[in-house]
Amino acid sequence: MDIEKLVKMANQIAANCDYGADKDKVAAVVADHLTRFWTPAMRVAIIEGHRNQLIDLAPMAARAVERLELPKSGL
Amino acid sequence: MSTAYEAYRRATDLGTPAAAASTREITLTIDGEEVTVPEGITVLRAAALNGVNIPRLCATDSLEPFGSCRLCLVEIEGMKGLPASCTTEAKQGMKVTTQNKKVADTRRNVMELYISDHPLDCLTCPTNGDCELQDMAGAVGLREVRYGYAGENHLDAKKDQSNPYFTFDPSKCIVCSRCVRACEEVQGTFALTIQGRGFESKVSPSQNQPFLDSECVSCGACIQACPTATLTENTLIEKGQPEHSVITTCAYCGVGCSFRAEMKGQEVVRMMPNKDGHANHGHSCVKGRFAFGYATHKDRITKPMIRETIHEPWREVSWDEAFTYAANKIRSIQGKYGNGSVGGITSSRCTNEDVYVVQKLVRAAFGNNNVDTCARVCHSPTGFGLKATLGESAGTQSFDSVMKSDVVLVIGANPTDAHPVFASQMKRRLREGAKLIVVDPRQIDLVRTPHVEASYHLPLRPGTNVAIVNALAHTIVSEGLEKTQFIEERCDPAGYKAWREFILDPQNSPEHVAEETGVDPQSVRAAARLFASVPNAAIYYGLGVTEHSQGSTTVVAIANLAMCTGNIGREGVGVNPLRGQNNVQGSCDMGSFPHELPGYRHVSDDATRALFSREWGVELQPHPGMRIPNMFDAAVAGQFKALYVQGEDVAQSDPDTHHVTAALSALECMIVQDLFLNETAKFATVFFPGSSFLEKNGTFTNAERRISPVRKVMEPLAGLEDWEITQRLAQALGYPMNYSHPSEIMDEIARLTPTFEGVSYEKLDKLGSIQWPCNAKAENGTPTMHIGEFVRGKGLFRVTPYVPTDEVTTRMYPLLLTTGRILSQYNVGAQTRRTANLKWHDEDVLEIHPHDAEQRGIEEGDWVGLRSRAGETVLRAVLTERVQPGVVYTTFHHPESGANVVTTDNSDWATNCPEYKVTAVQAHKVAKLSDWQQNFEKFTEEQIEHLNRARSPETVS
Repeated sequence: MDIEKLVKMANQIAANCDYGADKDKVAAVVADHLTRFWTPAMRVAIIEGHRNQLIDLAPMAARAVERLELPKSGL
Repeated sequence: MSTAYEAYRRATDLGTPAAAASTREITLTIDGEEVTVPEGITVLRAAALNGVNIPRLCATDSLEPFGSCRLCLVEIEGMKGLPASCTTEAKQGMKVTTQNKKVADTRRNVMELYISDHPLDCLTCPTNGDCELQDMAGAVGLREVRYGYAGENHLDAKKDQSNPYFTFDPSKCIVCSRCVRACEEVQGTFALTIQGRGFESKVSPSQNQPFLDSECVSCGACIQACPTATLTENTLIEKGQPEHSVITTCAYCGVGCSFRAEMKGQEVVRMMPNKDGHANHGHSCVKGRFAFGYATHKDRITKPMIRETIHEPWREVSWDEAFTYAANKIRSIQGKYGNGSVGGITSSRCTNEDVYVVQKLVRAAFGNNNVDTCARVCHSPTGFGLKATLGESAGTQSFDSVMKSDVVLVIGANPTDAHPVFASQMKRRLREGAKLIVVDPRQIDLVRTPHVEASYHLPLRPGTNVAIVNALAHTIVSEGLEKTQFIEERCDPAGYKAWREFILDPQNSPEHVAEETGVDPQSVRAAARLFASVPNAAIYYGLGVTEHSQGSTTVVAIANLAMCTGNIGREGVGVNPLRGQNNVQGSCDMGSFPHELPGYRHVSDDATRALFSREWGVELQPHPGMRIPNMFDAAVAGQFKALYVQGEDVAQSDPDTHHVTAALSALECMIVQDLFLNETAKFATVFFPGSSFLEKNGTFTNAERRISPVRKVMEPLAGLEDWEITQRLAQALGYPMNYSHPSEIMDEIARLTPTFEGVSYEKLDKLGSIQWPCNAKAENGTPTMHIGEFVRGKGLFRVTPYVPTDEVTTRMYPLLLTTGRILSQYNVGAQTRRTANLKWHDEDVLEIHPHDAEQRGIEEGDWVGLRSRAGETVLRAVLTERVQPGVVYTTFHHPESGANVVTTDNSDWATNCPEYKVTAVQAHKVAKLSDWQQNFEKFTEEQIEHLNRARSPETVS
């Protein structure tokens, strides 16, 4: 999986959902989007990339990724 | 579904159209019989409705009455002379005599004059046996022509055979004007006229040009209208009259026209638009009416083929061997690389039943959710955006709804080229006085076409849809034009409050976004006021909305605009996605997306999954699978190894060709099921020869959610219908799939999908077509959605911040490329390129503004290199002011054009729908084809050779 593409996608999702003062709510919307539409493997890649500081996520994308649980099945 | 073979007959014709809806009835006397008929119809129609067929030539019920032939004369008590029954309204108490000596003599005299200038070659005439003139001569009892034939006449008039599909033989013309009126009233092109006066009168395409060079769009309406052999299909001239007909549905665009396939044995004589068709009401376009020859083209592959790698020749094998080979490959790849290393792509050109079994095969037999469809690259944002706001991933109206619209807003759609039959209906409404707003970077035909002119054309810069739709909504809300009562009653208050606050932000004002969009703010404000000021305003949109990095946001913004003006939930209004391919709606409905089971239910929903698990006898994965671009990325990364592609040409249609072909080359097994060795099949190792729409049973669902029957009119050339191929592959994989007819597949869909609960082939036979939802609440289907309440309960406004695309012009790439479609070709052209439609469009060209061309020294017809960060291709230049300075435009109907070599991997944030509509490019004059094109030519030659080796007799033996 091309991690840079995933980063771009996550940043794009965050940018398009980021409106309003309640940043927690926005992060929840972005995280929900990632859970509903991304494969477990894609989520693992972005969670691990972020945890290991290998990727550069926009702040709101980072907040959303931090809310994701590491998928344990479907990999 | 019944085979529904009918003996061939001319469609019933009641002479003049039905009256506008009226519930009142009147009673009159026709030939002594009292008859009761709807108010407002003509005497001619009143008689026909009661079984009295008054002779006529210039009248037909698809056109307004004209009163020129004088054959339908009748006597009416109290009226002077012999009035024409086609132009006389039936009135209460009228006493009509349709036949007596006076009437009969007059009619015979009229007929005698007609025949005095008509060739008497009935026995060798193409319409012999199906000619209204011949019938009328018989009906009036014409026995002699006292004038003789020696006088001045038109018998030597030259035929016009310029159009590849029909012949114009003016020697047979009776100047009834039916063709001229059909071109005006039905098609709305106004290409035909009657030139000259009196004896000199003749039908003239444009300024007396050959048909092919005229404005004629070859829709066929004039041919249906012609009562003689003046305008005749060439296939009819070649083959003679059909002997039976079968009602089926066109396999081209999302309008989904109903046709009568008129047959001789298993040969199609002609495709005749079905007058009873609910989507098209007897109209058609050049594709559906004429471009069906691909089905029997010599390029069709009719035997299964396999090979180990793409670098070796194909080998024709039996179906059994092909299935065993494919199944073994898939299982061994899954054993080696994991369950998720394989997937499938369903086709929006195949039937609902074909698609359903592919997604079932992926979910139940492959055991994952790696299934996606070509809707990914066209209307996936529609599914997302409309589900999020209105609660259902589909358009809200019937096509007929447009006849009640007061304003039509067309954004990012080019209906006259891409949805021509609906465009004709829309133009009819616009000629009646509805106003038009067009939002499009190009001056599409609809902006100014005979008797139609847009009130406002907002020529925005590609990529700024969200900004412009927000600006329209900003104007409406800030000027207090929103429909407060509708919003309060129908919409979620918290959502509206947040959206209202957002949209009122001055950064969404037309003035603020003007620099970005390039559109005059006063025009935006005026357009918004017009949209909000009328009782019924409807929005129609296409791929110019969805194929952007903010495609989903624009769909949401469109839904917001409709909700804030109260334009949802009745006829004449609504949000209307114009779907590209015939079954895009259906393929999405059927669960082709990797995160959704049929009926748009998320795979993580335990109850839904349990339902399908029970029916299918397997556990289903609760996680979303890969989308098409994810599959390609995973293939390049070595994690995705096998793909089953049903009737789709990703190598030509998907963006960033270099990346796509790298992905396809990295697969260990690719199974392509198609009619032809398309671009994708050149990368395949297994080829399953598919069946065309003429060779199978099933259903298509069009852009108005209309499920229409597709009926087999000939046996599949390769022996199996598409659903059978998938079923046999499933069996080879050890998964039991045992349907004996596609009606059983539809029964299963109905059992599992609430919106399809009441759908069955039996009901389709009875009703002709059904718009879903069709269930206990709406037994005959649902033409208009969201009446009284939205599917999701309250309509949800969502904020739609404008986020500019990354695809911006730079010094290196100073132009924006946008892509689209043209009338005569369809999508990747696999079908239309194998028909005479090539006469209109035999290569893709680059439209460039004369100013940009001059700066680059480019002249009309020059080869132009078109380069983006993704790749380079070469196209011929066409200089036109249809495109703005700074914008260039092309189509991708021909593979060698390589338009998608240039488009990039940029995509919609929510759905990954590619941004085909915006690519930053540079254009420069060149002398030769690009490296990609040269490699493409070489690769194609190799692959054709590999195919020919399979087909050569020694290989077969």
